[in-house]
Amino acid sequence: MNKIVNIVLKILLRLFLFACGAFAVTFVIYILNLDMKLTAKMEPVLFWFYDRVKRDQHL
Amino acid sequence: MKDLKHLTWFEDLLQDANNELVVQARDEGKKCVAYVCENTPEPLLNLDGVFSARLRAPRTSSMEMATYYLTSFLCEYSRALLERAMEGGYNFADCLIAPDGCTMINRAVENMELLHTMDEGKENFFYENMEIPMKADDNGLNLYVLQCKNHILKPLSEKFGIDCSDQAIRKAVEEHNRVCSLIRAIGEFRKGDHPTITGYEFCVITLVTYAAPKYLLIEKLEETLEELKTRQPDAKDNFRARVLIVGSEVDDPEFIKLVESTGAFVCADRFCYGSFPGRDPITLTEEEDALTQICRQYMNRGQCPRYMNQAKILGRRSYVDKLAKEYKADGILYEQIKFCDPWAYERMVGSHVMHDDYGYPVLSIDRPYNTSGTGQLRTRVQAFIESIEIKKIHGGV
Amino acid sequence: MKAAEKRVGAKDFGKAYSDGRVRKYREWRGVPDTLYDYSRWLYNWVTMFRVVLSKPRNIKAMFRYRWMANYLAVPMMVDRHTQGLRGEHLRICHAEQDLIIDDVAKLLDKLFRGDRRIGNDKAFSDKVVLVDENEMQSLMMGFPTLVPLSREIASTYIPVLLNQRAALHYIDVAQEYGLAGDVCPMPEAEAGVSIDDDAPILGKCAVQCNTTCDGSLMGNGVISKRLELEDGVPIFQLATPLRHQEDDVQEYAAQEIRNAIAFIEKETGEKWDWTHYFECAKRVNYATKCRMEWLDMNKTPYPQVFGSNLALYTETNYMAISGRIAAFEEADRKITALAEKAFRKKKMAANEYRHRAIIWGVQSHYYMDFLVWLLNCWGIVPLTDMLSMVSTKMIAETDTPENREQAIYDIAWLTENMIMRNRTHGGYKVLLDELWEIVEEFNADMVILWEHMSCKALDGMHGLFEERARERGIHLVWVSHDLFDPRVISRQGVRDQINSYMRTVMQEEPVDPTLEVINDAESW
Repeated sequence: MNKIVNIVLKILLRLFLFACGAFAVTFVIYILNLDMKLTAKMEPVLFWFYDRVKRDQHL
Repeated sequence: MKDLKHLTWFEDLLQDANNELVVQARDEGKKCVAYVCENTPEPLLNLDGVFSARLRAPRTSSMEMATYYLTSFLCEYSRALLERAMEGGYNFADCLIAPDGCTMINRAVENMELLHTMDEGKENFFYENMEIPMKADDNGLNLYVLQCKNHILKPLSEKFGIDCSDQAIRKAVEEHNRVCSLIRAIGEFRKGDHPTITGYEFCVITLVTYAAPKYLLIEKLEETLEELKTRQPDAKDNFRARVLIVGSEVDDPEFIKLVESTGAFVCADRFCYGSFPGRDPITLTEEEDALTQICRQYMNRGQCPRYMNQAKILGRRSYVDKLAKEYKADGILYEQIKFCDPWAYERMVGSHVMHDDYGYPVLSIDRPYNTSGTGQLRTRVQAFIESIEIKKIHGGV
Repeated sequence: MKAAEKRVGAKDFGKAYSDGRVRKYREWRGVPDTLYDYSRWLYNWVTMFRVVLSKPRNIKAMFRYRWMANYLAVPMMVDRHTQGLRGEHLRICHAEQDLIIDDVAKLLDKLFRGDRRIGNDKAFSDKVVLVDENEMQSLMMGFPTLVPLSREIASTYIPVLLNQRAALHYIDVAQEYGLAGDVCPMPEAEAGVSIDDDAPILGKCAVQCNTTCDGSLMGNGVISKRLELEDGVPIFQLATPLRHQEDDVQEYAAQEIRNAIAFIEKETGEKWDWTHYFECAKRVNYATKCRMEWLDMNKTPYPQVFGSNLALYTETNYMAISGRIAAFEEADRKITALAEKAFRKKKMAANEYRHRAIIWGVQSHYYMDFLVWLLNCWGIVPLTDMLSMVSTKMIAETDTPENREQAIYDIAWLTENMIMRNRTHGGYKVLLDELWEIVEEFNADMVILWEHMSCKALDGMHGLFEERARERGIHLVWVSHDLFDPRVISRQGVRDQINSYMRTVMQEEPVDPTLEVINDAESW
């Protein structure tokens, strides 16, 4: 019985630690605006693709 | 060619909105109905006891006051009209009827009203704003008829006691048609290989029919037609290419003169204040009331870019093509007054379609209201004419 | 008026700005509000992943359509609009913004699902009715099985809210084809998208409308040339009267609606559903009731739902939703509850309220959060704006034979009174005269008048606005801009017009001097 409780506790602990870790990481991303800093870097890459799309430009 | 006998007289009439014929008609006791857009059915403004004058602002220079009220982003035509109204240049008018044709002219008229530019001391003066259809269909026709009743016929009858019966309308259409058929007949002289009237002369004559009471013009128009029948063309054509002008309003013949001074001959006029379709006679039958028939014909023939249904959009291109063929145009000149939204789009699409799909050489320009002394414009038209000429030499046109 | 208790909003907002695309950091709002904002940030990313980025077809679209790059900036748009907000105001803003994000994400997903180039789901595409960007979707209230989609909302309207430069490429394309540079850049950009072959191709049919202006009407002609004549999507042009205040245009307007419904029925084979229509009508009325409550609060010293959030939400809810989506009714309820709570507590959305302003005219699309700046930098409270002052008429909501007839007139009325056109058309009274009535009603001492340079309907009243303001002794501040094009007047150029008025005419110092000049020319 104790073994099962231990396993459950361990899982909960891991989940808790994972949640804490995930929170810490995402919160740092959030507060330092890292998501936007990353997407800003992606913009020129996307433009590179757009400039190479074959398109039938006409009225 | 020998000068047309009445050309100077016609030109003089265009020098001032309050021209001698407007003065004469008012002296005869007629009321002047001022209007600003081709979508206002003219015969209804020329019933017995009233005459129409389409507002123009000849010899406009400064537009500072109007620019304060409308900003410099509105088209110069709207600004020139407001400026002239504020200067008291339209004090001869007894009312002003304006369809909500485009936003800019609508705002110009609203400013005229709010600033009391024309109504001071005139007890019966009225401003009327009409809704007009944007599609040519039955619903649009019903609207047109109702609006003409409520915003033209009703106030004319109530304020000035004008007879607006079916019979009176038919009589006005008759007179309107007389002028239209004279203009058409005069315009026919542009068709020949050696035309006996210039685009400028024709423009002057056509413009006068918008700016002066029609019934006072008939005699001179008839004489001019007779004169043209025997007028001898110059021994050598003094033009290098025939050009059809398409676009927004041209109420200043100096623009046509400028185009022709570059070696072009303006063979047909598809613009607001021009003869196509503005001088199409109106055909009436006895089966239906005259008002409905007038509105239907105005709606169906209208070439204004505000008509938004696909059939009308496509119809505008085929109409230009038909005119170009009929009047043997070597090229098409699309023009618009700067800041005109409807014609900015129509000019872009029309100039591409007429070139790509119909194969015409096309020049596309925007221009100021007052074109005299516009060197850049002259250079552009000149280059266009030369390009047509070169193509002709190489057998391309 | 200053906040009675502790400070509202951060100090020195200007320090968060960088010279690049994005800000240096997000705002610290105290523990509870920061955690709340963080949770909504996370929620929005999950929404975007769940609805858009989890599907391969949408990734394909991301690399096909140039305007899709702007959607990278969604979280930053939320940050711009929530700047300085705390407590209920922050929650109100998120209730609005997050729902709009969810709705737009679904719009993108549906567009690409039906797009012949991307998802090519023919069965779905056959259920799609394309509508204009500026079109009241009340016309679709009786078609529950059809999907109204606007390609222009996705390709131009939203992108410019996200990224100030979003439309520039398309404006340039249109001008390369000869379109004059002085027309309104909104329809110009929409035409540019069509010319540039950058619009998704889908739909069983389309309804275009002459809403807003001559440019919009004419831009439709460019779009229809390709959509109808080349892509084979039949289009109905819905002509709505311009002089919408007149009795003698209402029958025409109603008949246009009847014709449009008949067109959609014919093209799609679906039938108009009255039960569904009246369900939606109830929601339209509820939204109207809520909006009126919010506006009533804004007439007091403690406004709660105001500024760009009010404008954006009203625009979405009134025009694009039109009672069709139940989630917006829920949001209306939630926002009203939060606003009432904050009102009872006399809460303020910023540290200091100095002036009560009515925002009039057509707002700068590339700088929608200007109203947030006004509040934070100068303490000018944007009580309401022209776009939020739309119809407050209750429409018929119970299914009776008389109401079925009335409903057609109601749809027509709403279409005529679409956002912006209800003021820019319909004669000078609705634009000029009613402004001063609103100023009085809201007890405002200032009018901020957006002058969208290429909006002829607004420009055409310029002089009379000035004269009327002078007569009434109201401070009228012109703020010129070019709607979609920050190259003509930059965001700082917009701000400078206020800065110089406040300093020279009002002789005031800013509430937050760090916001007076911000280098956000390169920013999204």
